[in-house]
Amino acid sequence: MSVPVAGLPSRLLLSALTGAGRFCVLGSGVARGKAVPARNLRGLSDLHPQLLPSQNFKDSPSWLPKKPSEPRSYITNPNLATTLVQILQEENRNPHQLFLECNPGPGILTQALLESQAKVIALECNRTFLPHLKSLRKKVNKKLEVVHCDFFKLDPRNSGIVKPPIMLSETLFQSMGIEALPWSEDNPLKVVGIFPAKNEKKILWKLLYDLYSSTSIYSYGRVQLNMFIAEKEYEKLVAGPHNSLYQPLSVLWQVACDIKLLHMEPWSSFSVYNQVGGPKKLKNKESLEQINKQMGQNMCFIQLTPRQNLFTENLTSVNYDVFFHMLKQCFMKRYGTLMDHLQSLSPVNAVSILKQIEKDEYMKITDLYPEDFKLLFEAIECSRESCRWLFDDSIEDIVL
Amino acid sequence: MSALRWGCGASGLRRALWPAGRPGLLAEEGAFSGVWGRRRSLSASPCEQDRRKDWRHAELLEVLEARVRQLQAECVSEVTVKRVGLAQLPEAGGFQTRRKAQKGGEGAAPGSCDHWVQKLDKEKWTMRRHKQQLEAKLQVRAQQLACEHRLRRVPQLRSAPLAERLLRWEQGAPRSPWEEQLARLLQEAPQKLSLEAEQAHKAGGPSSRLETQQQRLLAFLECCLLSGHLPLAHHVLVTCHGTWRQQRMLTLAMYNTVMLGWARKGSFRELVYVFFMVKDAGLTPDLLSYAAALQCMGRLGQDARTVQRCLDQMAQDGLQLQDIFTSVPLCPREQAALLQAVRKAQPAFSPPLRPQPEPQVNSSPLLREIYAQEGPTSYPKLHLPLQKLKALFQEQLRVEMATTVTVESVEKAQTPTEEVLHARNTLKQLRATWVEELCAGLQEVKASEARAARTGRPTLFPYLCLLTEEELAQLLLQTLQVLPPQGESLLSLAQQLGLRVFNRYAVQKQQLSQVQALQQRYYQYLHLLASDTQVAVPCLPRQYWETLGTPEAPHEQPWPLPVLVHLGKRLAEMLVEVVRMPGSLAAPQGSCTLIPVLYHVYSFRSFRQIGILKPHPAFTQLLATAAEHTLTFEAAEVPMLCPPVPWTSPHTGAFLLSPTKLMRSLEGTMQHQRLLDSCPPAELHGALDALTQLGNCAWRVNERVLDLVLELFAAKGCPRLGVPAPPSEAPRPPEGRLPPDASPAQKAELRRELARCLKVAREMHSLRSDALYRLSLAQHLRHRVFWLPHNMDFRGRTYPCPPHFNHLGSDLARALLEFAQGRPLGPNGLDWLKIHLVNLTGLKKSEPLRARLRFADEMMEDILDSADRPMTGRKWWMEVDEPWQALACCMEIARAVRAPDPTAYVSHFPVHQDGSCNGLQHYAALGRDSVGAASVNLLPSDVPQDVYSRVAAQVEAVRRQDARRGVQVAQVLEGFVSRKVVKQTVMTVVYGVTRYGGRLQIERRLRELGSFPQEFVWEASHYLVRQVFNSLQEMFSGTRAIQHWLTESARLIAHSGSAVEWVTPLGIPIIQPYHRDSKVLISGGIQSLTFSNSGDTSQKPNTLKQKNGFPPNFIHSLDSSHMMLTALHCYRKGLTFVSVHDCFWTHAADVEVMNQVCREQFVRLHSQPILHNLSRFLTKRFCSGIRFPLHSKSMRTDKLQDTLKSVPKTGSFDLKQVNHSTYFFS
Repeated sequence: MSVPVAGLPSRLLLSALTGAGRFCVLGSGVARGKAVPARNLRGLSDLHPQLLPSQNFKDSPSWLPKKPSEPRSYITNPNLATTLVQILQEENRNPHQLFLECNPGPGILTQALLESQAKVIALECNRTFLPHLKSLRKKVNKKLEVVHCDFFKLDPRNSGIVKPPIMLSETLFQSMGIEALPWSEDNPLKVVGIFPAKNEKKILWKLLYDLYSSTSIYSYGRVQLNMFIAEKEYEKLVAGPHNSLYQPLSVLWQVACDIKLLHMEPWSSFSVYNQVGGPKKLKNKESLEQINKQMGQNMCFIQLTPRQNLFTENLTSVNYDVFFHMLKQCFMKRYGTLMDHLQSLSPVNAVSILKQIEKDEYMKITDLYPEDFKLLFEAIECSRESCRWLFDDSIEDIVL
Repeated sequence: MSALRWGCGASGLRRALWPAGRPGLLAEEGAFSGVWGRRRSLSASPCEQDRRKDWRHAELLEVLEARVRQLQAECVSEVTVKRVGLAQLPEAGGFQTRRKAQKGGEGAAPGSCDHWVQKLDKEKWTMRRHKQQLEAKLQVRAQQLACEHRLRRVPQLRSAPLAERLLRWEQGAPRSPWEEQLARLLQEAPQKLSLEAEQAHKAGGPSSRLETQQQRLLAFLECCLLSGHLPLAHHVLVTCHGTWRQQRMLTLAMYNTVMLGWARKGSFRELVYVFFMVKDAGLTPDLLSYAAALQCMGRLGQDARTVQRCLDQMAQDGLQLQDIFTSVPLCPREQAALLQAVRKAQPAFSPPLRPQPEPQVNSSPLLREIYAQEGPTSYPKLHLPLQKLKALFQEQLRVEMATTVTVESVEKAQTPTEEVLHARNTLKQLRATWVEELCAGLQEVKASEARAARTGRPTLFPYLCLLTEEELAQLLLQTLQVLPPQGESLLSLAQQLGLRVFNRYAVQKQQLSQVQALQQRYYQYLHLLASDTQVAVPCLPRQYWETLGTPEAPHEQPWPLPVLVHLGKRLAEMLVEVVRMPGSLAAPQGSCTLIPVLYHVYSFRSFRQIGILKPHPAFTQLLATAAEHTLTFEAAEVPMLCPPVPWTSPHTGAFLLSPTKLMRSLEGTMQHQRLLDSCPPAELHGALDALTQLGNCAWRVNERVLDLVLELFAAKGCPRLGVPAPPSEAPRPPEGRLPPDASPAQKAELRRELARCLKVAREMHSLRSDALYRLSLAQHLRHRVFWLPHNMDFRGRTYPCPPHFNHLGSDLARALLEFAQGRPLGPNGLDWLKIHLVNLTGLKKSEPLRARLRFADEMMEDILDSADRPMTGRKWWMEVDEPWQALACCMEIARAVRAPDPTAYVSHFPVHQDGSCNGLQHYAALGRDSVGAASVNLLPSDVPQDVYSRVAAQVEAVRRQDARRGVQVAQVLEGFVSRKVVKQTVMTVVYGVTRYGGRLQIERRLRELGSFPQEFVWEASHYLVRQVFNSLQEMFSGTRAIQHWLTESARLIAHSGSAVEWVTPLGIPIIQPYHRDSKVLISGGIQSLTFSNSGDTSQKPNTLKQKNGFPPNFIHSLDSSHMMLTALHCYRKGLTFVSVHDCFWTHAADVEVMNQVCREQFVRLHSQPILHNLSRFLTKRFCSGIRFPLHSKSMRTDKLQDTLKSVPKTGSFDLKQVNHSTYFFS
């Protein structure tokens, strides 16, 4: 189980950090020890006295997260890093491929990527790792950029306060000199990272909204994601008809992207670091439980490449939310027949729609393939009636 | 059936293959040993030896063959059984004979056995057993169906001796009469065992699920009684009693309910059955049970001995006969029956008189003057004569009997074109069909619910029987009519429907005799109010009403929330299922497919989904085309046409028939009602009288203003003046699709635009319909006098009951109303009108009254111009803060100055006096904060003080210092600290705004300032909110201490597991209805509904809400007390008085009197030791008693006690000075 940190080039750096008292957990399973995060917090405060909440007013300043954030997993196994780089560079025509690495943490994978000639932008949301990453940057002669940024919270939807690590993709990409490519072109950059364990579902939905509306990172073209994801979530993503895991999320991802499973890795190969422990131990306990639950699982390294032909004349980034709503509503009664659903989806003549998509009216929702849903949507959308959807005015801004 | 037999027979014929000597099987079939035995005796039948040789081959063949047949048979049997249903079951004999034959081959069969044979054998066996089970089931079902027409009457008892006795008595009925048994039964000691179980159960505390079930069952039983389904109620009770699991759920109240039902019917036998069950459940009969028994005896005219035995037993149980008459709610007829029984045994018995209201006088020292008999009183009278008022009563009675009011819409009437007429016709036809179909649907639903009830479950059946199908159908169609085009959530729709059914029923239930009694009493009551009659002793309306009759019959208990929602949901589902319309209206009827009018769709909020019922766009279109020009309101949504019934108890008052609660609350919150019911009636007198008085103010529509508004409304509206525009004015989304190569930014822009249009359109629609309702009602009531009955919220703040058209609300709403009764302006009236006008303009806020008056005189030309040519002139009125009220005031002034003698001009115009930051005024008075008191005008001053400017000035001073010291934020904020920035925060601090909320408010203000560097907004708002809080802390030091004390007390009380309670200085009991959410799930149907109820007292209190809510709620309870005191004293002085919380209204002539009363009452209110009284009350309520046996808890109690007792110190402000402060309320 233990990750062989020792005897590898990264070790020096790591031990140096550990000595500084900011970073102590880098072994698998060690995070189970309860005392660790607490000690860690103290270390943090000592080092950043200016971050201490001032005593004279009660409410905590908002730059400290209100809740202690969930523990994140990091790649610390150099062998794993090497394997990943091999996989990533295998199909690459361009050796100087640009990678966007989310939360590299100790930077093991970053180093491996850099060694393979790639350019890397490291987006790290945890201040603790920043100095280390920046020192790495000096060594590799600017092939690495380090930004204090949380990739998973880019472009907050509810127009919340934009303060590091929360950033706007526009600012980020501009400062990195990344240019937008049209949708028809190849992917402008590859994102590498691990989905945070706690709100994978939420992030997957946020990415879907970004993708279908071609906003945020997807306004720069068909950005390819290469991510580690819990096996359970992966199964949901690729679930097909007749599978009990089949759900709107599966349909939307399968319609939007080519999903490739690149690699599987036991969860134990990752290290967990609890970002800001927070004063309450209870919350840590919860997250520990979560970790324990995950222990037996595998992590899947998957590649999500947006399809070139995702958008058509009838499915665009203007009306995508109708498509989303249609799917959600269909799956609310997943064993209902297609005919019943059609009647409560659209006032358009159901029989002709069925004929158009060549489906039987008694088919169940769970019998339909993702493409079928897209066809169905397009068939209704292209009908000439003035009112095509029964719910078109119940669309609301979805705040995730 | 034949196929089934054939299948068995075929397999049975393979007897030769049946292996012998299979003890395992024998053991397995042990259950059928009888059959087996007979079979065995036949086992020596002849066998076919020759077959043995090639048996292996044959066996396999035959086994397979048998298997095929078996499978066929099996599947047929299922189908057949279903089809056959109730038909006579086949005798098991036929089956057995074949088995016998089969068994015959047993001995001859070879010893070895193949697994195929085993399999066949086993399957044959399972099938047989399966079939037998099926038969048994069918038989049971047949029996069930047979007796389904008969409801169960005789209970099944758990206690053996009781059951035996019941059986004996049942059979020997003629020898020992039922009365006898009741007497003996009563003597029976409660069953020990079940009692223990009960206690064990109690110790665990009832789970909320169980409680919901109990609530549901009790409500079901009660409703059965009301709808005349007593046998069904009895049946369900017996069924529940019969099963142990459900018996735990039963409470004495449920048995009592059914018992009372039988007593009313005079069915003694069934009554005794229920008594048997009560005893069997180990419960002790209480007063209600005895009352039922005695009532029944009275009705049947039982002999004295039986009654006496019953009375003796009652005495033994420690129950007083007198109490039955005082504490059991009985209607006169019930009471008579009861008395008849009692008099049989004790001829001299006379029931104790109900406590008379006379000796009960409110104990609050604040109200002593109000209820003093001596002293000058000049209670106001209405301006209408008796006959007129009687006619008005008749009108109102008609309206309420009809339950709905149809009002002509003020939407511009279209000239009915061909198309419109066609649409109206179509609608009419459709509705007629729908009513029929809904009625049919309702019948079906009722039938299925009734069937379900017979299985012993409380269902919706009795609720559906309360109203006729036709009425329910009409109610549903009304709902359909007003459904907004974007739909409504199923949950709220269900709740509304349930509530409306309840209200309708409550109105209908009132019998003719009751209505006549009401009329008689009301006519007499009018003598007090009418202009041309006198009463002997002047008194308050409530007092007079009470002298005119006895207290009302017990009121209708509201149904529990889950029942309401369940009922509503079932009805809504039916609406979805039944109501259909042709897919295309152009096609001739009948030729095209029908489409549902309502759809069940979902709306998704993050990961939650909300079920919505949405009308089909075609239906919305049809409605729009038809443009029907009537609106339908519930009777209780329209102002009353006669003076409201005075409030005499927590549930009697206001409307004539429609049930109204004295204290409004969220549906499903019961604690307020319980608290009010348990409070001595006299304690509520202050609130009852104040509310009665507010409701007694007669209103009329300001017709000139209404005309102007209607003109604008019919045209394009004018959002700036608060007249919403018609939907045609809504922004149109950009036409056409984007070119395929549009950039993402363009697409995003288009999406935003679409979303914005949609949002604006929806907001416009809701504003427009709101205004439509208000204006249509105003138009409906034009030329009439009407009344707005009032009730209060749980803190005592008062509100008019009719929701759409009242004096609360926007500028426009207020401008539409004026007093129906006029008063000559008198010497100063005109000046007050002018001052009021200037106040409405908001122009001279910081100037003294004299300057405001002078300003009005200077502006007289503009004022007159506005009055004469409001839409064509200089339009001065349009530019001010409250344009419509200002316009109305201009008109009034114009009329007054043009009158030959302005002092004699009869004015109907209400003049307002506002408290300046009323919450802070109360805090400053509580804490005796001198600085604070001065800033909120408690101190006399030449010019009005403005607390917001003061705070802003103080913050500015600090900022300047900081800026000098080099604090960057302070420097950035240079020139931005204004009254406007801090106002909202200062205002809401009283109501418990936190720093977090305050910062958001300030952030919003700073964002509005275009010139402020936006990147500093966050930091600056943070800085500012801190400064605002600090300066408030300095100015109102006592206030902060009190707030802190209240918060801390509430926190500790909530921690100890109770909701915070207190009593206002006027004696109104208050409880904070904040508990942890209890989830109620209603499953089945088109969608499961889950809703949370935060008012459930069985849940722990929500500490956060209790704590944050206490300070503002307490202050509100004080301001409402102040208002009520002012109202009562004004009434005693003969003034017309109404209020909008801290804004008091009266005639221009009476402003000075009202102001004086208002100041005096404020001083008197705060001269009471309010905080000490509170502390004493809380200590007594939460720290006494033996409620804390545990040590840890007692520690907590100590802390609570300490906190409660440490009332904050107050400052040195002299309260008397308020009496001389001109700008206290101005």
